[in-house]
Amino acid sequence: MKSGLQSLRLRNMPLRYQLMLLFLLFAIVPSVGLGLLVNWTVERIVERQVEGHTMQLIGKVNEALDSKMENLQNMTYLIAFDPDIRAFMEGKTEFDGHTGAAVSSGDSNQSTDQDQLYGIKQFLQGFTTLYPEIAGIVLVNGNGDYISNEMYPKTNLSLVQEEWYQGASRNAGIFTVLGQPRQRNITTHVRYKDSEIVSVARSITDETSGRVLGVIMIDLKLRTVSQAARDVTLGKSGYVMVTDAEGRSVYMPDNPLVEQIPSAWFPSGDSGIFNAEADGKELLFMYQSSSFTGWRTVGVFPARESIAEVRQIQFYVVSFVFMVCLFGLSASLRFSSSIAQPIFRLMSYMRRAETGNLRSGRWSDRADEIGMLGRSFNRMLAQIRQLMSLNELRERQKRDAEMRSLQEHIKPHFLYNTLDTIHWMAQRKGVDDVSEMVGALSRLFRIGLSKGNDFIPLQSEVEHISSYLQIQQTRYRNRLQCELVIPEELKELFVLKLVLQPIVENAIYHGIKGRRGPGTIRIEAKVQDHKLYLTVQDDGAGMSSERLHEMAQLLGTPLESMETQEAGQGGKSYGMLNVQARLRLSFGEEYGISLNSREGEGTCVTITQPLMKELPQALQFDTEGRRDSQ
Amino acid sequence: MKKTLLVYILLISAFALYVLRYEYSSEANGSWEAKGLRGDIGETYIMITFQSGLEYWKSVLKGFEDAGDALGVTVEYRGATRYDPKEQTTIIEQAIARKPAGIAISAIDPQSLIPVINKALDAGIPVVLFDADAPDSRAYSFLGTDNYQAGVTAADKMAELLGRGGEVAVLTMPGQQNHEERTEGFRDTIRDRYPSMKVVEVADGHGDAMKSRDEALRMMKAYPELGGIFVTEATGAAGVGEAVQNADAGHPLQIISFDTNKATLDMIKSGTISATIAQGTWNMGYWSLQYLFHLHHQLTVPAPSSSDENAPLPVRVDTGISVVTRSNVDDYYAK
Repeated sequence: MKSGLQSLRLRNMPLRYQLMLLFLLFAIVPSVGLGLLVNWTVERIVERQVEGHTMQLIGKVNEALDSKMENLQNMTYLIAFDPDIRAFMEGKTEFDGHTGAAVSSGDSNQSTDQDQLYGIKQFLQGFTTLYPEIAGIVLVNGNGDYISNEMYPKTNLSLVQEEWYQGASRNAGIFTVLGQPRQRNITTHVRYKDSEIVSVARSITDETSGRVLGVIMIDLKLRTVSQAARDVTLGKSGYVMVTDAEGRSVYMPDNPLVEQIPSAWFPSGDSGIFNAEADGKELLFMYQSSSFTGWRTVGVFPARESIAEVRQIQFYVVSFVFMVCLFGLSASLRFSSSIAQPIFRLMSYMRRAETGNLRSGRWSDRADEIGMLGRSFNRMLAQIRQLMSLNELRERQKRDAEMRSLQEHIKPHFLYNTLDTIHWMAQRKGVDDVSEMVGALSRLFRIGLSKGNDFIPLQSEVEHISSYLQIQQTRYRNRLQCELVIPEELKELFVLKLVLQPIVENAIYHGIKGRRGPGTIRIEAKVQDHKLYLTVQDDGAGMSSERLHEMAQLLGTPLESMETQEAGQGGKSYGMLNVQARLRLSFGEEYGISLNSREGEGTCVTITQPLMKELPQALQFDTEGRRDSQ
Repeated sequence: MKKTLLVYILLISAFALYVLRYEYSSEANGSWEAKGLRGDIGETYIMITFQSGLEYWKSVLKGFEDAGDALGVTVEYRGATRYDPKEQTTIIEQAIARKPAGIAISAIDPQSLIPVINKALDAGIPVVLFDADAPDSRAYSFLGTDNYQAGVTAADKMAELLGRGGEVAVLTMPGQQNHEERTEGFRDTIRDRYPSMKVVEVADGHGDAMKSRDEALRMMKAYPELGGIFVTEATGAAGVGEAVQNADAGHPLQIISFDTNKATLDMIKSGTISATIAQGTWNMGYWSLQYLFHLHHQLTVPAPSSSDENAPLPVRVDTGISVVTRSNVDDYYAK
């Protein structure tokens, strides 16, 4: 229903817009669709690849951190193996310093060689020589005594009470990552800030008793961790941060998107991806935790931000779609106007033609259907113009004929009245033959006038021709014999008036006059094939075949012949042409006069006209002058 | 026609807006990395010393690392494990092979390292020297203590402590440029400025506490009138201090040390050591990397000088010294 309405609306649009819409639909919709598809696919694939890649990188960072920590663990073992250090841990040797209230009982070991301490320090220095990422190593025994090349306590409070010491001794013998130190009573000469180092520690236990003898603590420069993490450039504008098991940050870059990631956010499992909102920002996290250190390496990205590569592809796709739009628009404008404009032009020419202006339109010489249509239209207009001028000529000729016949009416009217007066005068004076002849003449004119009607009953036409013949017989006396064969039933039929008189006149003047001895004119009416045939046959001079041929040609185009006759010799067979013209104009080409003659034997003229039982009031002619079939 | 034009303008301007937005946002994306003077994480700068385990370097390294963090570049620390020019040469050769962005070297020996330093420069690697110079090499700059001046300062301090009179000795490491200069500065000043004072002996402490202690004991025995010892490095000073502590109290000895390690500071605090010369070690490391960074990125312009050499950097940079005594020793402890 709705689509029907829309299509209807589309159908009501100008053709130009319809075509434009169609072109745009076919050019732009698929390209936009393709663009969206490509975009979606690329985004999905690249995103997945980047995620995989990022996960690998995070794993690598984790591995690097793990291996560093393992190195440190190995170091603590190596340190613990040293017999001098073991001796120190057991409180049996000289030390750097002593903290806390517990008074050392080791004064008895005063004699112990200072060299032993020197040896320990050289040994420890060896580690920092090999591993510059170590900020310091400190050994603390249960008494609060310590040995270190770099570190020393800030105050005199016992190191044994320190949180890190306690933490390490709780995990007896187990390597512990303490993370960044906080409020530690120990410092280094180089003044590392707490945020610059990460501490690890391991307690040393007595094999037999399991008692914690002391703790080895190593400070690692945090930049070792950060360098591993900073090295990783992630696909999106993300970064890597390292947090400890509680979610406190071990390392994060300068401008982090999120300061702290609560542990509760992390789903269970060693690695994964999750979304979370922090500080009003939607963030994507990818993480992998290390079972060794308990640390998590977390990749942080702003969610809903496409990867640079995807953005670039998107850019190309949008540019492509734009180009297609631009091109499509131009092409659709061009095509639609090239098709719609000529049609519009044709329409305007047609409108012009409708108002009667039949000037042919101007068309370019394009060879396609539209050009052909235009040329056909022009040809059609030319034909119409030709037909109309022909019609005009016919109308003019008809009018002329009518005018002439109207003018002819004036004379008979006057004559008729005069003749009537003469008739009565002659009768009063007893001149019977004059009175009779004038009476016939008067009748002749009366019927000839017949109130201006074009069609009269056959009866009247017969009366008319009888009157005429009477006059002619009076003139020619015995030389003219007449025979009228008119069946009674035909006398009611209507005929075109004054068709017989010119033919009979012709027969008398050209036929009977040219013959020796009396001649006979036979007038006959008959109906055949729903046509009325009136024949006028004489036994007069007849016509030569050339003359007959000439006449037939003249009768073929009576109007044109009449014009040339008028201009030329004038009057020769004018009457016959007049009858022929009237018959043709009234009934059409298939009716009219046909001639049949033989030299010396006489002529037979046949008038053919349609059967008319009543007066044809509504006799109409179409433009071509052909009578209605009625 | 007007409508079509409007559609075209609309379409093109929409596209232009999109392009602008794209350009802008890609710029914004990249901007957090390119903020300020930042290098690339792939750029590696190497600091090379001798006796790499020495605590003395830790502060220099810290300065080097801090500069590295500030510039966003990678730094590495390498060093000969021992006091051995051949080993350091090898370490420098290895560093050159890794094609770093720059090398900062503390030269163990002013002569033997010249070929390898020049080799690095020939390879297009900028080199600066810190702490210990190699003056005849083509390295761009030397950042360190003006050791002669430090010796002068030490002599002045010693004269002040001894009341401008008496015998003094120097415990040093002969053959090492910086120690030689300190000794020279000290000796020249005593001779020129303090006529009633005398440098009786310049001994070799080998940079070792034990050996220095033994040397100090020997000298105290040899010169009963000895009023003071200038020790040109920190490790030996601790040994000397120990020697003085262990000796009979009737023989007070003014000790002027060099550098500020824990042992030295403790001894200043306890009064065993009278004074020490603190060097701007952190500055050496920090500015070495800054110089190398500027050289690598060609941010410095060689300036015309009176001689025809156009040096892009100051050829010598004095990183400064200060004298630490009992009155200000607390400031030198780490907090």
